[in-house]
Amino acid sequence: MASALHLPGRWAVLAAVFALLVSARPARAQDLGSDSLSALDLLARGPELGASDVPGESRARKAAADITSRTLADPPVKPPERVSSDSSLPEPMAEVAVPPSRWSPAERPTFKPLPAVAAVVPGLVLHGLGPWLAGDAKTGRQLFALEGAGLGLIAVGGVPIVLTGASRRTIGPLYAVTLAGAGLFSISALSNLYAVMAPVVEPGVVPASLPPLELEMGYQYVHDPAFQYDHFVALGAVARVSAFRLEAAARMAPGEGNTRVRAGGAYRLMGAPEQTLGQGDGTSLDAELFALYHRFPTEGFTVGGGEAGLRGRYAMARLSPRLEGAFAEASLGMSFQGYSYPGPPSDDNLHEQLLFTFGYGVWLGRGGPLRGEAMIFYDHRKDDLAGGMRTLGGGVVGSVGLRGRVLLSNSWGIAAEAQAGGALVGRLSLLYALGGET
Amino acid sequence: MNGAMWQGVLAALLITACVRPAEERATRDAAVGREEVGGVSVEVEGGLASVRALAPGGLELWGQAPVFSAKVTTAADAPSGLLLTVHNAMPDAELTATDDSGGGVPVEPFPSVRPTLKVWRVGVRPGSVARLTVSPPDWDADAPFRFAALADVQEALSRVGDVYARMSEDPSLRFIFFAGDLTERGQREELEEFQQRLEFGARIPLFATLGNHETFTQDARAYHQRVGRGSQHFVFHGVHFSLVDSGNGTVDPIVETQLDGWLDEARDAVHVVAMHVPPLDPVGVRGGGFASRNEAAGLVGKLARAGVDLTLYGHIHSYYSFSNAGIPAFISGGGGAIPERFDGVGRHYLAVEVSPREGVRDVGLVRVD
Repeated sequence: MASALHLPGRWAVLAAVFALLVSARPARAQDLGSDSLSALDLLARGPELGASDVPGESRARKAAADITSRTLADPPVKPPERVSSDSSLPEPMAEVAVPPSRWSPAERPTFKPLPAVAAVVPGLVLHGLGPWLAGDAKTGRQLFALEGAGLGLIAVGGVPIVLTGASRRTIGPLYAVTLAGAGLFSISALSNLYAVMAPVVEPGVVPASLPPLELEMGYQYVHDPAFQYDHFVALGAVARVSAFRLEAAARMAPGEGNTRVRAGGAYRLMGAPEQTLGQGDGTSLDAELFALYHRFPTEGFTVGGGEAGLRGRYAMARLSPRLEGAFAEASLGMSFQGYSYPGPPSDDNLHEQLLFTFGYGVWLGRGGPLRGEAMIFYDHRKDDLAGGMRTLGGGVVGSVGLRGRVLLSNSWGIAAEAQAGGALVGRLSLLYALGGET
Repeated sequence: MNGAMWQGVLAALLITACVRPAEERATRDAAVGREEVGGVSVEVEGGLASVRALAPGGLELWGQAPVFSAKVTTAADAPSGLLLTVHNAMPDAELTATDDSGGGVPVEPFPSVRPTLKVWRVGVRPGSVARLTVSPPDWDADAPFRFAALADVQEALSRVGDVYARMSEDPSLRFIFFAGDLTERGQREELEEFQQRLEFGARIPLFATLGNHETFTQDARAYHQRVGRGSQHFVFHGVHFSLVDSGNGTVDPIVETQLDGWLDEARDAVHVVAMHVPPLDPVGVRGGGFASRNEAAGLVGKLARAGVDLTLYGHIHSYYSFSNAGIPAFISGGGGAIPERFDGVGRHYLAVEVSPREGVRDVGLVRVD
């Protein structure tokens, strides 16, 4: 009874999101235009015929040429910064160099107060206003278009939800479309802000590589009036092997006994693997599979289940060079869970849940060991420690949050998260990385 | 639920991080049924009736249970006698009045043109305390009975008379157990219209909890004034009934503490629990249940361990029969609000037969259209 959504509806949800994700244009930095290399060209430049196989070499060379062609009268393009100042070292690999900026120093946008203010009011409603006032009409138009697409999807999904009374037969795909619209709307709003605020600092770059193994230990605080727990030990591990990423996270309340374990993995369908992330521009698509176990000894029940989904990330520089250093992320999936109660209560329902997240983030660091990211996000799930917001509409809305993860050296880093749903959650962790030194 | 969803999205942006949105309502519950004016004070036990008007010599109540008692204290200089008017009373309700020494107080009934409106003149003396109990004569009989379960009238208020007319065809129904969303906006005028249509159109009273739509205007202040508590508990024929405020997709800890007491009280009895937002939406993708699935699972587990026999919900404008933690559960949001399409169910209510000895005997779907 609890799994009333029909299979066609579930497949429609997955298909719709997959289509949205795979329809992304190739990165501008990877767009070789009329000079695009054929398979034969690639083979001729491969190591088998004596050429270099340095990852990303041809891309970096092409990108630099592209920038030069756009700045004919400008000063020479700033060469990639080297991590090491020792000029006697051989030509640096792409992983340890700062990818060339899409802007020359001369044409790099400068911070202007008026567009920054306008990006907030009325820019939160008119999403292209910030860059438009800053003199970048093209980016402004693109953000207006993105906002329009978001509003359109909200209407396409939302109006039928109202008209069908949130029918059990159509709600899955309609919800996914509506949330995708909300995601696009949010992304255009945040891009509008980012486009005018980003010139304050040099934008971050995609980390050249991420360590093969990261361990995490920290503290998490949860304020939820519905539960007695407050303090958690946060443990986590991430392993990266080729296109696979394996993850496990545990939250344990020492005094109260509440324990949540989520473990699983992801396979990179598109984009550079995380261990060689710098080969791409950060755009990626992952298939994810996770299992969840959550024990509530005080409340007397246990949740167990599995979830599957797709997670995509899009380098915003593909949309506009002004958005260099930022990315948008979205995920869609389904979870299936069962509850077990000690003693007489018996529940044989399988509870399904629509999983949907979207976020907007920035890469941190500009090459070298300092690398990471920070992201503001919305999470539609209602079964984590934050839960959904307790609103006038009941429990329809999920949670929002801000999370960051950065390696400060080759071995050590920190992760932090703040999330507001039905509960308030804050976490601070220490990261330890093994291998993958830059 | 649909309009609520959009308003919820907007409201969520405004009240992010409000972890106890129902706290003030839970606190306000405690004040329902208490009033003091001009040397006369009234206190309704359990908040099972709201005070519509109180003046020296007159008291007007809106009943929220088949049986309730009120303590009326009069000052020495207060006028003698009290005209007691009770709206939303059981059709066969009688008034019993005793003074603080247990002696009887004279009661004179007035004829009423409407089944659920009762008027009595009570011979309370100045400077005394009187206990007034309004109840049908068989209220504690150990016998099966039937009641109707309904929810989500909202914008269909002008057509709710059809539902009452359909219910009137079944003389065995004793009262309507209402799981929230009486109105679209929770405004005072809407609630007054709801009550007028009920009083003029229904043969039996309606005992309700509030829904999320009642919270849209001043967090249900008008509901507390005109109708009563969001969360309450009463007993009829030995069967326990609990109405729980879940209007924000959560149960406030204050209410949960009260519920714990009601569950203990009813542990060996038949117990029916109703709330507006169901803890777990049987269509999980829709997520029309609680904001936290963990809170929902904890709550239904608690209800199951306490031996609750039946859970009734609203919020979703259709009919669902399922179970939560093994407890039979029904969503019956058939009061007329924007219906769920493609479900083959229009306006409807449930006819529930319950026995204090056997538990829930039958839950039947009754179509109105």
